[in-house]
Amino acid sequence: MKSNTPRKSGLGWLSLLGCALITGAGLANAPAEVTTVEIVHYFDVQGQTDALNQLQKDFEAANPDVKVHYTYVPFAELVSRTLQMAAVHKPPAIAAIDNPDVLRVAKAGILMDIAAEVGKFQVWSDIYPGPKAAVTDGSKVYGMPIGSNSLAIFYNKKMLADGGVTSPPKTWAELTEAAAKTTKAPVYGIAFSAVNTEEATWQWEPFLWSNGGSLGDLDSENARAALQLWVDWVKKGVASRDVVNWNQGDVPNQFITGRAAMMEIGPWMLGAVKKSGVDFGITTIPVPKEGEKPVVPLGGEVWCVLKGDSKVEQAAIKFIQFTQDPERLRKICDTFNYISSIRSVAQQQGQANAELQPFVEQMDTARARSQDGGAQYPAISLAARTAIQKALTGQASVEAALKEAAAKIKPLLGTKK
Amino acid sequence: MPYLFILPCVLFCLILLLYPVIYSLTLSFRQATVDTFVSGDMPFNGLTQYQAALADPVFWRAVIDTVLFAFFSILFQFSIGFLLALLFQANFPLKNVCLALLLIPWVSPVLTAANIFKGLFNEAGPINQIGHLIGLGPIPWLANPAYAFPATIVANIWIGFPFNFILLYAGMRSIPPDVYEAARIDGAHYWQRVAKITLPMLKPVSVAVLMLGTIYTVKVFDLVWIMTGGGPANATHLLSTYAYQVGFSLLNFGEAAAIATLMVLLVLLLNLVQLLLRRA
Repeated sequence: MKSNTPRKSGLGWLSLLGCALITGAGLANAPAEVTTVEIVHYFDVQGQTDALNQLQKDFEAANPDVKVHYTYVPFAELVSRTLQMAAVHKPPAIAAIDNPDVLRVAKAGILMDIAAEVGKFQVWSDIYPGPKAAVTDGSKVYGMPIGSNSLAIFYNKKMLADGGVTSPPKTWAELTEAAAKTTKAPVYGIAFSAVNTEEATWQWEPFLWSNGGSLGDLDSENARAALQLWVDWVKKGVASRDVVNWNQGDVPNQFITGRAAMMEIGPWMLGAVKKSGVDFGITTIPVPKEGEKPVVPLGGEVWCVLKGDSKVEQAAIKFIQFTQDPERLRKICDTFNYISSIRSVAQQQGQANAELQPFVEQMDTARARSQDGGAQYPAISLAARTAIQKALTGQASVEAALKEAAAKIKPLLGTKK
Repeated sequence: MPYLFILPCVLFCLILLLYPVIYSLTLSFRQATVDTFVSGDMPFNGLTQYQAALADPVFWRAVIDTVLFAFFSILFQFSIGFLLALLFQANFPLKNVCLALLLIPWVSPVLTAANIFKGLFNEAGPINQIGHLIGLGPIPWLANPAYAFPATIVANIWIGFPFNFILLYAGMRSIPPDVYEAARIDGAHYWQRVAKITLPMLKPVSVAVLMLGTIYTVKVFDLVWIMTGGGPANATHLLSTYAYQVGFSLLNFGEAAAIATLMVLLVLLLNLVQLLLRRA
């Protein structure tokens, strides 16, 4: 065994990186009079990076004493990397954190409460309740949303017409019917993602929440009906059994290549779907009964200021304020394919772009995922998605799977701080 | 003064090898979560992390799956590699071309291979299309907990067999030809020569191959993570993917470190079993 060096797949590298950061930071120090605002983020799509670069250029031109420095980190590592940087006392000035993670990171005590500062922003009074909840803990505010996204149903106009579906589905019954009518090998009526990651919970939440359910109470009729809806689709063969293995990249592939007549996906895919040439429409998430309002989960990142040098903190707030100018905010959200978290800006976006309108409509009732369990959300979501996968693969009945998840979630809610 | 010369090597080992191992080990005895990680006052809580891991049914399923994954992967990787190595002792046209082609799985990035296998095993994918031709209904390979695990093993066998093949091939070539010649004169037929000469004389190489194979397969992560993400319904979690989920999805660093430590112990244990089996 002497010649073998067993790989440590644990967390040893965390500490290594810490060392690297300590030694590397000395080099990055800018001249004394210029403050550097380091921003960690995971944006890697062309439109997003273009928007960030433009933002940097404009901001530095308006504030010659502040330099903006972006640090890219892969999606899965953003939270752990931010924690790590803070742990070695080299926090970035700003972290663009995924909204369901904000309260959890805040719990570690590294985020600055910016309630007083955002209170002065012109747009703060106009923020939708969902995004506000994602960044708020009591009277404390831990960030300012960059923008929001959510989920809706994209449909292939031609396939719906060929199947004899005259108008896009508005209720669960219509959705199931439309899926059945458009299913014709090799085309499935509907595609969604139920893979063993957060994506599964996130894609199921619109149905759970629109039916009045919550992740905190999965052993309920509301939750059972919402999961039964998905299970029935797979059982009837109007959705592929492979949904338990499709991530949110696979789902649009099915739609674009003509293997799915409808799909559940968000506005970030608009660019790719448009480019594919498929004649498509978008409708809001169908609701259990006609006239009800869909309740969708919110996606999108939040500018969070990290506790650190007060001069850097002030510069960071200045940067965030700069992004919140309504005109500029709209431009950022447009290039990100996001819906602004600010009502007036979002409405302008919807009016200018019909494809965004269904997403804008859903913003009023949209919920933050952390509203279901706060800092415990990730553990709760994990239990829920295991139930979803068990039920979809027939390993357990809907009732048994949800009961098991509810039993796992109950103690988590008890320890909520 | 002479110690100055070995200083770089010692420093390298201490900083890059020993320190992470010890750090990870101590982390496994501490309550290291989001709350405590930043403040740095991660309190020692003894075996709590280990107890939590051992009490989790998913952990035990991952242990069993890791062992089965390693066993079946190595069984087939080794057998296929061995048979191919035998074949390549003979001379035939285009031998070198075939040799190069056989190495493709080993040199192709796992990321690519995993995504291709995900596509192959898709319900509408090529494997089911072939199955359709011989009258089999579409099988939800990766969508059914019963099939998903064997499917990941098949993919891993494909990736790993060339490594076994090339080492065994080289090992066979180093066996002196006069031993075979003597056996042939004594009237030993082909399979007798394989069983009585090739296998025993290949033992040192086989031992190394099996040991490396065990380490390589127990630590497999990317292949399974891409193909199934540990799903459906936790049916394909290996200890590596499970530790990753606990560490980076739930941000429970302490428990993830405990699982990683247990995983290293498992590798040691498996190699020990091999050692004992060989002694016996």
